Amino acid sequence: MNIIEEIVKNQFLLILLHEEEYLKQLEEIVKSLEKTNKKICYVCLSKPYTDILEMLKDKEINTDKFFFIDVLSSHYKAPAPANNCIFVPAPTALEYIKVAIAKAVNEMDCGAVIFDTISTLLIYEECSSIVRFTHELSLEKNQENVKKLFIVLKDGTIPKVDNEELLKDLSMFADKTIDLAS
Amino acid sequence: MAKNKIMVVDDEPHLVELVKAVLESNGFEVTTAGGGNECLDKLKDNEPDLIILDMMMPGMSGRETCEKIRENPKTKDLKVAFLTVARFSEIGKKTLEKMNVADYITKPFDNDDLAWRVKKILG
Repeated sequence: MNIIEEIVKNQFLLILLHEEEYLKQLEEIVKSLEKTNKKICYVCLSKPYTDILEMLKDKEINTDKFFFIDVLSSHYKAPAPANNCIFVPAPTALEYIKVAIAKAVNEMDCGAVIFDTISTLLIYEECSSIVRFTHELSLEKNQENVKKLFIVLKDGTIPKVDNEELLKDLSMFADKTIDLAS
Repeated sequence: MAKNKIMVVDDEPHLVELVKAVLESNGFEVTTAGGGNECLDKLKDNEPDLIILDMMMPGMSGRETCEKIRENPKTKDLKVAFLTVARFSEIGKKTLEKMNVADYITKPFDNDDLAWRVKKILG
């Protein structure tokens, strides 16, 4: 499967990654996105923004093309302000995340949003809240042309049943599910 | 003539009441459930002609509830429709077909349209 082709063709993608191959596969996806002309909004759900930034730099990916939304750092301590990142108070602040994404799209001209990883939210939120949040994001006004990539980690630390139910429910709205985990 | 029985399953009580009122005024007998688990529980003693399921409910989602209805030999052939704010993708629509879902009605709905669709499903 050609990931770039699928990203170009579809607006709402679910991407399943395997825990052991996660970084390698994520790199491939991010490099595919980097080739597009627009900026990329990177929603950091499983690692702080500083870790993601380091990872991108290590892989020689142009970080100027990225704008970050960090949902973790403020949860632990007040992070140092950054001009390329919005810090959301907590992973449970789903409305705040939506507002931050709208800001990234409207003010930073981001053409794609990557959620790394949407399944991590299961630690904090019930499956139905995440499905509702994701569905509402897919219907956001002024974001019809913004690509949204939801990463789901297969065989991660999230209980398998919860992860599978989330995946099945999100599949109902997704244009395409790319399974890189099997 | 016996009235057609419909079970309405939604976590929003005001919406359940609205759907119930619309369907009762159109001659249907309506029972209700506030979620997937309650629906499955009530199906042990009830055999509705149609189940109208909300898609996004806390706990068990409408999709999961429908799967469990289909897994149970006693309920597998019951007619199911979704009443939902969800906009399904093409993949989602195919999944609904596989689950043998009779129809999906989007919220907000028109009362007459809801009654017409239910009558159409029940033939």
